[in-house]
Amino acid sequence: MAGAFSSINTALSALRYQQAALDIASTNIANASTDGYVRRRVVGETVGAAAAPAVWSRSNEIGSGVQSAGVERLVDPLLDTRVRREHARQTYLDLKAAAMGRVETGIAEPSTNGVAKAVDTFQKSLDDLNNAPGSDAARSQVLANASIVSDAFNIQAHNIQDETGDQRARVLATVQEINDVATQLASTNLTISTSSGGGSDTATLMDTRDQLALRLAELAGATATVRPDGGMDVLLNGKPLVTGKDAATLEITSGVNPDGTGDGSPVTFQLQPTTGAAVAVTAPEGDLAASVELIDVVLPGYAAGLNDLVKKFADDFNAAHVLGFDANGNAGGTFFTYTAADPAGTIKVAVTSPSAVAVSAVGGAPNRDTGNAAVLADSITIQDGYQRLVNGFGSAVASVERLSDNQRAMSTQVDAAREQLTGVSIDEETVNMVMAQRSYEAAARVMTTVDQILDTLINRTGMVGR
Amino acid sequence: MTLVRMTQNMLSRQSYSGMQSAMNRVAKAQEQLTTGRLINRPSDDPTGATTAMRIRSSLASQQQFVRNADDAVGWLNQTDGTLSTMGDQITRARDIALQGANTGAMGQQARDALATEIDQIRDGLIGSANAQYLDRPIFGGITAGAKAYDPTTGLLADPPAIGTGTGVVRTVAEGARVRIDVEGPDVFGTAPSVFQRLAALSTALKTNDATGISAAVDGLKGDADRIANVRADVGARTVRVENARSVANDATLTLTNALSEVENVDLAKATVELGLQEVAYQAALGATAKVLQPSLLDFLR
Repeated sequence: MAGAFSSINTALSALRYQQAALDIASTNIANASTDGYVRRRVVGETVGAAAAPAVWSRSNEIGSGVQSAGVERLVDPLLDTRVRREHARQTYLDLKAAAMGRVETGIAEPSTNGVAKAVDTFQKSLDDLNNAPGSDAARSQVLANASIVSDAFNIQAHNIQDETGDQRARVLATVQEINDVATQLASTNLTISTSSGGGSDTATLMDTRDQLALRLAELAGATATVRPDGGMDVLLNGKPLVTGKDAATLEITSGVNPDGTGDGSPVTFQLQPTTGAAVAVTAPEGDLAASVELIDVVLPGYAAGLNDLVKKFADDFNAAHVLGFDANGNAGGTFFTYTAADPAGTIKVAVTSPSAVAVSAVGGAPNRDTGNAAVLADSITIQDGYQRLVNGFGSAVASVERLSDNQRAMSTQVDAAREQLTGVSIDEETVNMVMAQRSYEAAARVMTTVDQILDTLINRTGMVGR
Repeated sequence: MTLVRMTQNMLSRQSYSGMQSAMNRVAKAQEQLTTGRLINRPSDDPTGATTAMRIRSSLASQQQFVRNADDAVGWLNQTDGTLSTMGDQITRARDIALQGANTGAMGQQARDALATEIDQIRDGLIGSANAQYLDRPIFGGITAGAKAYDPTTGLLADPPAIGTGTGVVRTVAEGARVRIDVEGPDVFGTAPSVFQRLAALSTALKTNDATGISAAVDGLKGDADRIANVRADVGARTVRVENARSVANDATLTLTNALSEVENVDLAKATVELGLQEVAYQAALGATAKVLQPSLLDFLR
């Protein structure tokens, strides 16, 4: 049989517990829209008999109230891993799609002012010159249209160079951010391990930890595992980036100079741990992987295709041009010039005087032969190749956009699954709040009742017959 | 999607992404309508974009073929007209020569008058032989000068320009290069050319050289025949060029239609599409307004 005051203590434990439940509900509501906040739940447990009964210390209590067994943070580490992976893929595809989309807009095909149209017009102006070889206007038209072609090539080449430059700057910024975030995560790890040792509540620190790990996944596709002490270890493609309280430094070893220029070699990275030798590493997903792929593969691929076309266009046309004779009967010179390192970016018209366009096949004296005009017009054979190049790039953009859309469905789904578990529902918290309030009222009522019982017992006992 | 637990955040996020995608579709429909084009960048339809570029390229060459053919027809018509007057004049010269050959019935004075007319016909013929099309002498080959024949001597003004190079050529179809000029010697003959023959006739009339006159009569017959032959040839070339022009014109029309089919928006369809997407967007807005408002708090005292 329990003591007379036992019930008052039980009611007191209930008051304390419901108070805690109200606190948690209030915290949840306050953070309903906080980024990275994971809802908490206070876990109650019945205060029961001693765990190890003995002959002289047996318990005959039938109920001793409630106590808070702790505050639970509603997360699923497996789901978090999934979220990080899908987000890493999403940022990778999004960045790639956005950059390729920009380059594609710069290509400006099919339209009335792209390279294809310029080449067609140039070819037409050669025909017009064939019709009127004596006309200075027709000759000037050929030169003007040739400049339009070379300008159109220049613009495309510069677009690609600009985008490459932007991506290099982005690599520098991303590496900087990765190092910042990794350092923050390492210091959060340290705080978590010391606080949990001291018995403090680490839920808020865990929220921060999870957010930082997610950011690292988005930036570089890093993977994370939870440590026994509550911290988080982060691996970048299997190489340790954050280990407990230590963060390695990600360094660029080649490809991008500190001033944002390129050094001609592929972009590579290494991880420099706090102690020991640096290890080479690559980013599997995330922003960093997208930028590296753009710089090393996608943009140079298109530029190389364009350069091949420009080289062929200029070489073929020059070869045809030197076969002919200009308006004064002199042999034709080089029509287009370019530097071998960057044909598309540097191609320009070398001929300045309209009379120097060599459409005649007969030299020696001024004449109006146009035997070379057809040779010149026929030497322009890059249309097919250019269409293939644009088609290939367009298909690549369409494909990466489709992938990005599909991936968005995927990451939205895992985000929804995580939100389903960790998100705060105002309705639910209101229900919890009302429940806690009612329980609190009931516990208070228990106290009054026990008080009345004691009053009866103490003040009325032995008063019979008075 | 089987959800056990819904939160306000999920609702608002869903509403937001729903509104965004509805808005994106409206923007896409609007872009197609305002640009009037189905393909605004290669990735919209890579195959269609290539087809469009190919058609544009073909269209440009067909349009140029039409221009080339127009120019060629102009040149050929000019040649034909000139040859027609020249034929008449040579016939007249031959009539005069035949008159002059009647030596018995005609005095020297009359023959001198005939000789003067022959001289005038010769000047007229040389003038016609120097006829120009767009500032180029049509019988001058590839000469850079303004005249095919020297008006005083009746000799070629620029002999190296004749018979060299490819002559005057127009591309009227893919790979079809038609020569549209006729060179002077092919029309007027060489050693003696028609001009030299007329000069000799004039001299023969003045000197009452019966052999010379009758030689001129025979020679002028040959000259008239040659010009008639050249006219027939020019006519045949004109037909060929005109055929090519009508083919190129047809092709231009067909290709323009094809390009429009690949590239252009079906306005009615796009307008309906825009209407539909607008309705969908408004529905998303309406649903969001309804869903975001209530909470349990509205129903508790």
